[in-house]
Amino acid sequence: MKYHLRQALLAMRGNVTATLATLMTMTLTLLMLGFVLLLTLNVNRTIEQLEGQVEVAAFLAGDAQDEALLAQARAIPQVRDARLVTSEQVLTEMTQDTPFARDAAQLVGNPYPDTLRLRVARVEDTRAVATQVAALPGVEDVEYGAGYVDTTVRTLSAVRLAGYLLVGLLLLGTLFNILNAVRVAMYARRDEISVMRLLGATRGFIRMPHVLEGLIVGALAAALALAILTPAYLSLTERVQQLAPVFPVVRDTSTLAPLLGGVACLGILIGLLGSVFATRRYLQELE
Amino acid sequence: MIDFKHVTLEYPVTRTLALDDVSLNIGKGEFVYLVGHSGAGKSSFMNLVLKRALPSRGEVRVAGEPLSAYRGRRTSILRRRMGTVFQDNLLLPHLNAFDNVAFALRVTGVPQREWPQRVTAALRTVGLEHKKYALPLQLSLGEQQRVAIARAIVGNPPLLLADEPTGNLDPDNSREVLKVLQNVNLRGTTVIVATHARDLVETFRHRTLTLRKGKLVRDDPYGGYAL
Ligand SMILES: Nc1ncnc2c1ncn2[C@@H]1O[C@H](COP(=O)(O)OP(=O)(O)O)[C@@H](O)[C@H]1O
Ligand SMILES: [Mg+2]
Repeated sequence: MKYHLRQALLAMRGNVTATLATLMTMTLTLLMLGFVLLLTLNVNRTIEQLEGQVEVAAFLAGDAQDEALLAQARAIPQVRDARLVTSEQVLTEMTQDTPFARDAAQLVGNPYPDTLRLRVARVEDTRAVATQVAALPGVEDVEYGAGYVDTTVRTLSAVRLAGYLLVGLLLLGTLFNILNAVRVAMYARRDEISVMRLLGATRGFIRMPHVLEGLIVGALAAALALAILTPAYLSLTERVQQLAPVFPVVRDTSTLAPLLGGVACLGILIGLLGSVFATRRYLQELE
Repeated sequence: MIDFKHVTLEYPVTRTLALDDVSLNIGKGEFVYLVGHSGAGKSSFMNLVLKRALPSRGEVRVAGEPLSAYRGRRTSILRRRMGTVFQDNLLLPHLNAFDNVAFALRVTGVPQREWPQRVTAALRTVGLEHKKYALPLQLSLGEQQRVAIARAIVGNPPLLLADEPTGNLDPDNSREVLKVLQNVNLRGTTVIVATHARDLVETFRHRTLTLRKGKLVRDDPYGGYAL
């Protein structure tokens, strides 16, 4: 094993450019992946929170069939729950927020209509539900509190998608880099390899230093990526917490540790798989 | 030990018939010369035994088993049972004589504590015990070839294949190398020496197989050289 390790280090030193190129693309890939995953994590957390809050309010006409409309609203598949709030209840709520609302109501009559309040299962569906409810007879007007939710969700999903695409491309780039690095390293050892084959070395024995090389580069890239990503993320989220406390940023170790650990494992796995694949191909070409 | 039945080897790209319907049998402990002009098919014969090539027709058996039985991992096991020496000695230039010989033990997984004793014994067999710390470039071509022989026999293979082992050597060194090969044979190893050098075959007489354009034209049990 010591022999294989030394051969691996020799191969990496003899071939610094390819090794560094692999290390850099791999680190970059892992950083990007970590970034996208952390972003997704926070976006999901934010959306969850919004989902808990976003309501569609349908204001009913005075002569509307309240109960029938409630049933119809509940029948819409995207609606998680719906309840009827009578104008009197609305007034009571409003009075709690602004005490003079009742005084005003005594002057001009209760200005609030009966209202259906709907919660939507997924925040993306808010607009669709609003449109559907607005079309029901007896509904005069529809409001949904968070028009901004729409654009936010859309932007974030687009960013997330772009991120995944980028990660995919980078993964491919990393793989090609590993293939190339291992190829160059094995080519540099070709005389030794042909002697080894004649002497009866197994394929596994011949491949071992190069597989180790991939493993080492993978582990280094993983360590580098974590060393950059973790402090950067923590300081960024700290700023966000200070500046915009409404955002539910994820900072708890129990969520972050497996995610970052996963990114690191992926790095090591790619290094390993890439070199296993590359060495197999190279030896097959020699046959 | 080695059994060829109607073996034909045709290289696919050039369609050259390197071996043409060759049948022969080489037994355990024999010393055999394989002679013929350059291009007669001697190296092709060696390549078949080493499973670096497969016959186009016919069957090659090594140690009782057809080549096709040596697959994957067993190909390396097969090669461990054969020492090989070529015209180019294929020593690793950055390793000294001792380490070059030990390399054969390393790649076959022999524990390191056995190396000193076995490597020293192999170097003694080829008469180079005193040069074990010399790098290949610090040795004469004849000495390099003897290190290569030591590397080939350090694993105690039952078979030694030598393809033009004296091709780069002057007559004195050639004799020396041939003597070493004979000593190896005397310890029970089957030895096959391919060569196109007439005088060599007449130095020490042994069974001689003659190839001409891929055909086995003569099998002379007591030596003699006919081309
Ligand atoms: N890898 C190869 N591909 C195509 N033709 C080959 C190859 N190796 C040898 N030959 C041809 O096969 C014939 C026998 O070659 P070889 O066995 O090397 O002869 P020898 O070792 O007796 O000089 C020659 O005509 C040679 O050109
Ligand atoms: Mg030849």
